[in-house]
Amino acid sequence: MRVLIVDDEALARAYLVEQLSGMEGIEIVGQAANGFEAVKLAEELTPDLMLLDVQMPKLSGFEVLELLGDRAPAVVFVTAHDEFALRAFEVHAVDYLMKPVEPARLTGALERAALRIKSNEPRPAARDIVMTARQPGRPLERVLIREGGRVHVLPVDKIDFVEAQDDYLSFVSGGKRQRKQQTMAEIEAQLDASRFVRIHRSFLLNIERLARIEPYAKDSWLAVLADGTTRLPVSRTGYSRLKELIG
Amino acid sequence: MSEALHPILARRDRLLLYLAVWLGFGSLLAAVVAFRGDTSFLWGAVYAMPLAILLGVQSLSCWYLVQVLPVNETPLMRLTSTWIGAGLFLLAIWVAAALGWARLLRATVPQALDDQVAYGLAPLLLFSGAAGLLVAVLGHYMLVAFERFTQAERRSLEMRVLARESELRSLRGQLDPHFLFNSLNSVAALIGADAQAARRMCFLMAGFFRKSLALGGKQSIPMAEEVSLAETFLAIEEVRFGERLRKRFDIEEDVLTLAVPPLVLQPLVENAVHHGIAHLLEGGEVQVTARRRDSLLELIVENPCDPDRPPSRGAGVGLANVRSRIDALFGHRASVDVTAGTNTFRVAILLPAQPATSTTLTPAVLTE
Repeated sequence: MRVLIVDDEALARAYLVEQLSGMEGIEIVGQAANGFEAVKLAEELTPDLMLLDVQMPKLSGFEVLELLGDRAPAVVFVTAHDEFALRAFEVHAVDYLMKPVEPARLTGALERAALRIKSNEPRPAARDIVMTARQPGRPLERVLIREGGRVHVLPVDKIDFVEAQDDYLSFVSGGKRQRKQQTMAEIEAQLDASRFVRIHRSFLLNIERLARIEPYAKDSWLAVLADGTTRLPVSRTGYSRLKELIG
Repeated sequence: MSEALHPILARRDRLLLYLAVWLGFGSLLAAVVAFRGDTSFLWGAVYAMPLAILLGVQSLSCWYLVQVLPVNETPLMRLTSTWIGAGLFLLAIWVAAALGWARLLRATVPQALDDQVAYGLAPLLLFSGAAGLLVAVLGHYMLVAFERFTQAERRSLEMRVLARESELRSLRGQLDPHFLFNSLNSVAALIGADAQAARRMCFLMAGFFRKSLALGGKQSIPMAEEVSLAETFLAIEEVRFGERLRKRFDIEEDVLTLAVPPLVLQPLVENAVHHGIAHLLEGGEVQVTARRRDSLLELIVENPCDPDRPPSRGAGVGLANVRSRIDALFGHRASVDVTAGTNTFRVAILLPAQPATSTTLTPAVLTE
């Protein structure tokens, strides 16, 4: 079984390496010290199993899974926190180990992982992972966007608006556009509904960017953004949603 | 302190007492009128009681002047001139009403008052009205003082409860289980790789927890102890984070003997590590500064942080705790300033500089 170790603490990685190195049938293919590296190495090395820390700089373990989507290997979480166990279960993690990691628990988790891989159980759908990448009951705080080999982290308060185009979304922030493969309904459900309003079938607006609303034609309006130049179409339902929110 | 409702009108028991006092005043006035005018006490009372009630109602207006003219904050000239003016005004109204009432009573019921009384009342009325008003004003000032006193007492009690509670909370938060688990994981890792370092880590952890627990009942500790706690904490986290965590202590020699509330610095350092350094790929430097500024002690903790951090992150319960404890202990004599920049996070605390020899810190509410 080919294993990738992901933890931002060198000592924690060293401990797992030490424990794993004596085991039969286990090959450590790589180590990642943060979420970005984890995504990169998981794609390059295609391990069977990832031992994944949750709290890391920039990207959390769950966000790593979101970015990998269908390409994610089997996962065993390794963390000092117990509060992520439910979410780990939701993304079909093989096991959830608590630090300090007992060797017996680690062996058990590896055995379960081997069984899971052999039985070729279906991977969790990428969509399920996206939904659990945020804290349960809390709106999304940042959007992850991949561009080639790079990952951009876009805090939601920097988003001006989101535009649906064909089968992807454009996240517009300060005049820059970043594309992501996702549906409007999904992102609308994840973002804070008191800040992001669906003003049109194809537009989701950050309410803080709205400067004024101008009538355009019968039953349609234009939302003028704070930059003074951007104008977005507002549908009839979008208009009533806006009015409800701003009063 | 301004209250919408008059404190006497606000409570039935006070209102009844107030009424009783003025009825007593009325009885005295009735007796004097009866004696002077050679009529019955009953007719004296018929005359005097409505006047007593009137003066009582007039006196209620003192409350508003008492509010705007606190004795110890108003210049004596202004205090006396305003009160004399207001007193004369109220007195004039009352005396005029009393003389009018005397004539009315005399005209309708001739036997109630004789001429001599009805027309010779002015000096008596002036004297008794002035006395009544004076007592009313003094009474109002006493009432205000009493209200302030009970309020201050309640506030001080609340403050002490609050200070105690947040102290306990912070101590509980101190023994953060994740800190313990992560440290133990480091120990487990070191045992295989570097047994000496593992042993050192055990000692550091034992030292940290022992020092934390010892703070339990204390109201203040020497700054040197607080610095040592923060240093031990950072030494443990350095084992965990390795080169990502760097530190710089800039502590002036003469502040080490000052008294500070326990856990005023360490939680900020903990914040800097867990909400700042831990989220940076390359880590960064935690900078701790302590210096004396005249009669104040200035503590600054500064750390780099992730510009892309979500708004909810960046400050933890530790900081809120420090802030509420400092508020409760020192009130406006201390301040906690938080600067959350794009790339740096900075907390600056100003405390009264007190020498560590005084074993307890006095809460602000008790010294004012």
